[in-house]
Amino acid sequence: MVDLNINGEIRSYDVPDDMPLLWVLRDVAGLVGTKFGCGIAQCGACTVHVDGRPARSCVMSVSAVGNRQIRTIEAIGRDPVGQGVQKAWVDLDVVQCGYCQSGQIMSAVALLNVKREPSDADIDAAMAGNVCRCGTYPRIRAAIKTASKV
Amino acid sequence: MRRLGLTILAIVVVLAAAAAAFFFWPHGLTDVAEARSRLPTGADSVKRGEYLAKAADCAACHSVGSSRPYAGGLPFHLPFGTIYATNITPDRDTGIGQWSDAEFVRAMHHGVGRDGRDLYPAFPYASYALMSTEDALAIKDYLFSLTPVHAEAPPHQLKLPYDQSYLLRAWKLLFVPRQQFNPDPGQSTAQNRGAYLVEALGHCGECHTPRNKLYGLDSGQKFAGAVTAGWKAYNITSDATAGIGAWSDQALADYLSKGFAQGHGAASGSMAEAVEYSLSHLTPEDIKAMVAYLRTVPGHPAPHELAVAPSPRSLNDSTHLTPAPAENDQESLGLEVFQGACASCHGFDGTGVNDPRAALAGSQTVNDPTGVNLLQVLLQGSRFRTDHVEAAMPSFHAYRDVELAAVANYVLAHFGAKSAQISPDQVARARRGQ
Ligand code: FES
Ligand code: FES
Repeated sequence: MVDLNINGEIRSYDVPDDMPLLWVLRDVAGLVGTKFGCGIAQCGACTVHVDGRPARSCVMSVSAVGNRQIRTIEAIGRDPVGQGVQKAWVDLDVVQCGYCQSGQIMSAVALLNVKREPSDADIDAAMAGNVCRCGTYPRIRAAIKTASKV
Repeated sequence: MRRLGLTILAIVVVLAAAAAAFFFWPHGLTDVAEARSRLPTGADSVKRGEYLAKAADCAACHSVGSSRPYAGGLPFHLPFGTIYATNITPDRDTGIGQWSDAEFVRAMHHGVGRDGRDLYPAFPYASYALMSTEDALAIKDYLFSLTPVHAEAPPHQLKLPYDQSYLLRAWKLLFVPRQQFNPDPGQSTAQNRGAYLVEALGHCGECHTPRNKLYGLDSGQKFAGAVTAGWKAYNITSDATAGIGAWSDQALADYLSKGFAQGHGAASGSMAEAVEYSLSHLTPEDIKAMVAYLRTVPGHPAPHELAVAPSPRSLNDSTHLTPAPAENDQESLGLEVFQGACASCHGFDGTGVNDPRAALAGSQTVNDPTGVNLLQVLLQGSRFRTDHVEAAMPSFHAYRDVELAAVANYVLAHFGAKSAQISPDQVARARRGQ
């Protein structure tokens, strides 16, 4: 049994210690907003927040998370920064197929939480690990800038 | 005068005969029936052998990638030519299917092939010589339980005189122990078990101990660190600055069994392979024993520039997603590349962003101004795998030499407080495997 704090709710999950967090989120907790892309920390589709910092849930075992707070895309609209990002994403119609976008949004919110008005270089630094096969990068950059101004 | 001439002739003849006997007298075989009788039979011995084969990391060299384990074929590029790992599956024609117990033990302890030829010490028999005969036989039982694979290893390509394998007999005389491991009564049981695992099975010294001019291990610098096959095996003596003296037991155990330790970074290259194929399969008690033994290896200091910087200002002034403000004000190609390609996983404050294994603070690789492993990791990437999780850093070889040199210098300055001068030329050489 492993206790996890997901989106503010602490629950026990009957999973092995070394199970990747992503599997627990999707297959056990039923939170399928977080996506599986590569499984080897290369694409960013599985990004969640662990104590506010972005983490690749596909390679993080539940035992490595411990009692830290996990936040997933399902709860990202609970605070103003998250809401701002959601709105910018909708206003600029960032999404194409959408598969990478949960991860993009998680990384974008994590960035805006440490840097309210990020430069292009800051955006590169924070977002380079989130791959988008549809190539929505220019709109992602623009949406982060829009969200930073509200 | 004539007497003197005859005496000299006699001496020459005797010496020549002695040399001929030394180099060409066929190797004998030791009877191992008694050791065999002490071993369990069947599945029990196979199981024991499997564990030992992992502890001895046979698979890392005798396989190409993870396909066809133990079927050989992996090339070793050495200063004197290229040799190929052999097939050690029980195939009768191309593997070891016809080897007797005595022949197998002779190979492990004395580096002699089934045909009586001397084997090259890329096969670490200078370490395996310390292995007990029973353990060697258990490994044989395990190998014989595998599915035979028909795969001929390519012939070695060695320059003269290194292709004259009988000359190895002189080398063996100098560098191969003549006795199996003997527990030291002055040490604890754990330390002795650790010594056996480290020296006889794990053959750690083959990479971590520098070699002398004759390519033997320089026992005066035991575990002081060396470059092998393009990767630096770091100093693992108990020296507090140069070695692992300041690491906690937990950190050492984590590094050995998981390939990374909080505050010391992650293993890559050959060490990551050793963890994947070998160390991660050992029991926690055996890992503890190895740690206990490593603590007893006398410290060997290293030049001050190689020491790990405890907490560079540049890290303290950064957040995980943004660099220290002072750095941001400068135009730097290295910072630019790092921002675009590295920061989203490694972050700027050394704690790692998306995965704890990406934490760079305290890692020896980003503190070594020669940049040996850093360039290897940039060019080849790095990989980590357990039964459940695989994580990888991609290769950045598509970047130009100037960019890789710049980002390497940036990383060494930012994470290791080192002023390094990696040149594009050095990157080009590393790219060519030089
Ligand atoms: S699925 Fe985790 S990074 Fe790709
Ligand atoms: S929107 Fe399709 S992968 Fe990013």
